[in-house]
Amino acid sequence: MAESSVIGQGTVIRGNVRGDGSIEIYGRVDGDVAVSGDVTLGESASVRGDVSGARLTIGGTVAGDLTGTEAVVLERTAQVTGDIAAPRVGIEEGARARGALRTEEPGAPAGGRTEVRRSPRPMESPRAAEREVPRIAAPAARIAPRPEPVAQRKAPPAPVVPALRGLHGRKKKARG
Amino acid sequence: MAGTLIGPGLSIEGELTSQEEVVVHGAVRGTLTASDAVSVGQGGVVEADIRAASLSVAGTVTGNVTANDRVDIQAGGRLIGDVKASRLTIADGASFKGNVDMDVG
Repeated sequence: MAESSVIGQGTVIRGNVRGDGSIEIYGRVDGDVAVSGDVTLGESASVRGDVSGARLTIGGTVAGDLTGTEAVVLERTAQVTGDIAAPRVGIEEGARARGALRTEEPGAPAGGRTEVRRSPRPMESPRAAEREVPRIAAPAARIAPRPEPVAQRKAPPAPVVPALRGLHGRKKKARG
Repeated sequence: MAGTLIGPGLSIEGELTSQEEVVVHGAVRGTLTASDAVSVGQGGVVEADIRAASLSVAGTVTGNVTANDRVDIQAGGRLIGDVKASRLTIADGASFKGNVDMDVG
């Protein structure tokens, strides 16, 4: 108990929370949370800021990036708007998330991350798809327009969300 | 567990507002407002103005304190700042520097 902290449901923090040990949050934090231990966000918790720690168990609402050096688990009540990065990620059925997902060691090269971030919404209309595709296609296609590239355009890039589906139910109860 | 507990090693910079009991064993810098009791444990460091129902200090507080009920500075506790409270106790072995306003007259 000595090492862990609790932000109760009736507590609001405007500012940053950082340090050693684990933390359980049931209240509200408008700021970043960065601890060396585990972070637990209860269903009533709301964080507007980045959250980082060893193992993040999210049951509340987060508007910010989640970075876990061990794992990030979104429980069924979680609502996350932001990028998620951890070696292991679990998303329970019912959790809502929007953002890029990386299951790598934090600090690894960004890879395709920025590319994913540029199209956060799935394409809704064919016109939107037309506008998006030339950016991805090689500029050479514009200089010499041929019918072949047009055929390629009919297949828009896969939306981001299905990639998350495979991870349902991966929550692990045991602590590391 | 009800209430808010700032463990040792944890530090909060900014504004902390609570409707429940707040126990500080770590550090708080900024302001600390609670409608319930606040206690600063041994090793706790608060550099903030505190407004609370009551305050108990066994650690270190630097800032002005307003308590609706009472302020208790425990042995080993240290308070630097003005205190406005209807009741104030300072234990043997406590340190205190500041003005006291007990709302008399």
